[in-house]
Amino acid sequence: MSQPPEEESARPLRDVDLRAAERGVWLVKVPKYLSEKWKRASGKGEVGKLKIISTKIPGAQPEVTFSMNEAQAQVQVPGRGTATPKEHKFKLTGVGNQNLVVFSENKGEGTTAAEITERIAIEGKVIQRAECQPVVDKSYMQLKKRHVEDSNKPKREIKQITGVVTTYKPVSNHAANIEHEKKIKEGGKRIRDERDVVTNKLFEIFEKHQYYNIQDLVRLTNQPVHPSHYFGGRGRQPLGGGIFAAFPF
Amino acid sequence: MATNVQQVAVSKPGASSGSQGNASEYVVRVPNDPLKKYSMIKFASGTDIDFLKLSHGKVKMERENNLRQYKTIYNLDAMPKFGAGSEYGREQKEEARRKKYGINIKKYNPNDQPWLMKVGDGKDCKRYKGVREGTISENTSYYIFTKCADGAFEAFPIEEWYNFQPVVKYKYLNSEEAEEEFSRRDKTMNLFSIMVRKRIKNEEETEEKPEDKKDKKKDKKSLILTDMEDWMETEDEEEEEEEAEEGAEKKPKKEKKEEKTKRRKNAKINADDEAVEESDEGDFDDRELDYISDSGSESSLDEKAKNDKYDDQGVDQEKGLKKLIDSEEESSEEENKEEDEEDEEEEAEKEAQSKKEKKKKKDSKENNKEGGESDSSSSSSDSDDSDIDKNEDKFSSVLFMQEKKRSSRPNTPTVEKLEIKTEPKSEGGIKRKIEAEEGGAEKKVRTESPAPSLKTSASSSSISSSGEITEEAIRHYLTRRPMTAKELVQKFKAKKSQMSNEQLTQKIGQLLKKINPGRKYIKGVMYLSLEKTE
Repeated sequence: MSQPPEEESARPLRDVDLRAAERGVWLVKVPKYLSEKWKRASGKGEVGKLKIISTKIPGAQPEVTFSMNEAQAQVQVPGRGTATPKEHKFKLTGVGNQNLVVFSENKGEGTTAAEITERIAIEGKVIQRAECQPVVDKSYMQLKKRHVEDSNKPKREIKQITGVVTTYKPVSNHAANIEHEKKIKEGGKRIRDERDVVTNKLFEIFEKHQYYNIQDLVRLTNQPVHPSHYFGGRGRQPLGGGIFAAFPF
Repeated sequence: MATNVQQVAVSKPGASSGSQGNASEYVVRVPNDPLKKYSMIKFASGTDIDFLKLSHGKVKMERENNLRQYKTIYNLDAMPKFGAGSEYGREQKEEARRKKYGINIKKYNPNDQPWLMKVGDGKDCKRYKGVREGTISENTSYYIFTKCADGAFEAFPIEEWYNFQPVVKYKYLNSEEAEEEFSRRDKTMNLFSIMVRKRIKNEEETEEKPEDKKDKKKDKKSLILTDMEDWMETEDEEEEEEEAEEGAEKKPKKEKKEEKTKRRKNAKINADDEAVEESDEGDFDDRELDYISDSGSESSLDEKAKNDKYDDQGVDQEKGLKKLIDSEEESSEEENKEEDEEDEEEEAEKEAQSKKEKKKKKDSKENNKEGGESDSSSSSSDSDDSDIDKNEDKFSSVLFMQEKKRSSRPNTPTVEKLEIKTEPKSEGGIKRKIEAEEGGAEKKVRTESPAPSLKTSASSSSISSSGEITEEAIRHYLTRRPMTAKELVQKFKAKKSQMSNEQLTQKIGQLLKKINPGRKYIKGVMYLSLEKTE
């Protein structure tokens, strides 16, 4: 878990761009299959056309229909079929008592790795809510049928094995062991240095931390160590972790 | 990054598709900008904020940094990483340990932290905190349709929803603390300081100023739950003002008493300034008029007396001390019975009062230190006296007892006095004793009768303290409780050490004939008592 030291203090508040604050936007609930297709919009990003018919009858909502492009409709979504209905109706509802505001975070091109400046901007206020509902036709039925089938499939499958199963066979010498022995042969044994040299090294080491494991010290100083010296002459290694060697300060 | 603007929007206003209304077609574009991320702010209902109407036009937003809290929760930074107490390879060890046991700690994601928004600037800024809303369903996604300049619609997906609520800076109690406060609302926790304050106030009360009233008004209850409590406080303040006015007229002692009684009456609805005991069940049952017994003017007294019933007399009060000392002797039982027979209430009242008086006596006159002590001792010796009366033959034993008592206190004069007294007794014989008895019997009956009104008691207490053998003093003693003649003599002897025994008894006898107290025979001994005249 070596991470760069992170900031713990509260960051200063960033200014919010209010230029587009007075824009009125629509909040539309879109079904999943449609949104997936939209996400894969190619090129220009055009997905379809929106037709708004405003009725003259007072009080009635205008009719809104969304019709998808041909090209868009053919977009393949992996894992699902292409059968999607082309026509959708927008069912308009009011916002109600809620105060909904849209904001966006714009991640600038991160030149410096540490700081990614984000610009926060208010994109508008929701004035209309709508639900995108498909006009029920054959393709929609097919789509739904597929959905139901997919969701009813069990998540785990039983497959028959064709190949051979690996088992652990007895080995004369494991690969890891062989490597280890090689390393020791090459690296050579640890030779005892002068007493002064070793103590100086130890002092340096203990300047960093207070507690060290014996094996760590051995590795750092590259000195030979015989366990019996440290365990009161019993000549046996204790089970579990090594002993801490601590410098009394 | 650039949104695709290549396609020109086609808008055909007026294109018909029905006879009903105008139809217009717009192109819908879904730009795919990976760097721009859209989120929704949902303000709590009732929050009045409109970015259009902002006069300052300053809005600031930033993510909350909870890294410190995250670290303290998982104890990531608990141990030092360098210097004293640090360990080589501790982090790696911890990580290995967690992996071994399969402990998964949720990683701290700064992009999941709540937003902090500040609207306006300077002092009158409003702060909001936006917490992310969890459930974005799997089957639906939300898009924002905005109308572009070229007439086309652009749709952006909304990735996150945040619920913004105004930040509250005032302190409020949570449910547990509120319950605690509720249970504490009638109790006074700082009794000692309240009593001290009360005493200080009482001293200043004679020179009442309107400022004091203001101060009283400031002491309000901390937890006011209903309007009733608010009204009761104002009512209580009025009462206190009344009492204060009355107090200015009368003597301070009585003032205290009356206020005490009045305050006891309103035990429950007092402000925090008063330390009043909690009422038990049935304490206030007699608030209504009791038709059988006489009520009205005495109601307050009875009330207080009733409360006194529940008071245990501690050793620091004279009555309790007396009980303690007398517990060894037989007649203590008698005394207790007597007291039980009498009106306890008045007795207790008197005792409490006399205790105060005695304290004052002690403070004012050091000479009367003996008097104070001997008062209590005389009351105990009263029991001795009755012993003497009973067992005339056991003078010596009684003498020894008395001497024992006396020796414990440095009252050599009284010892001598008693010796003088007992000697002539043994010499003089029975006649004098009978005479003394007769005289004393009258006195005693008087002392037995219940306490008189406060005025006379106050006056008589001052009289008795001076040591004069007056009718008033004798009356005072006799009304308090029934005494034998001997006891009376002893009382005065303690105060008037100059007079000889004969003179004392003569004078007392004269006065008794005047007063003519009632006589009672309790266990063969004649007691004198005075009934309450008022």
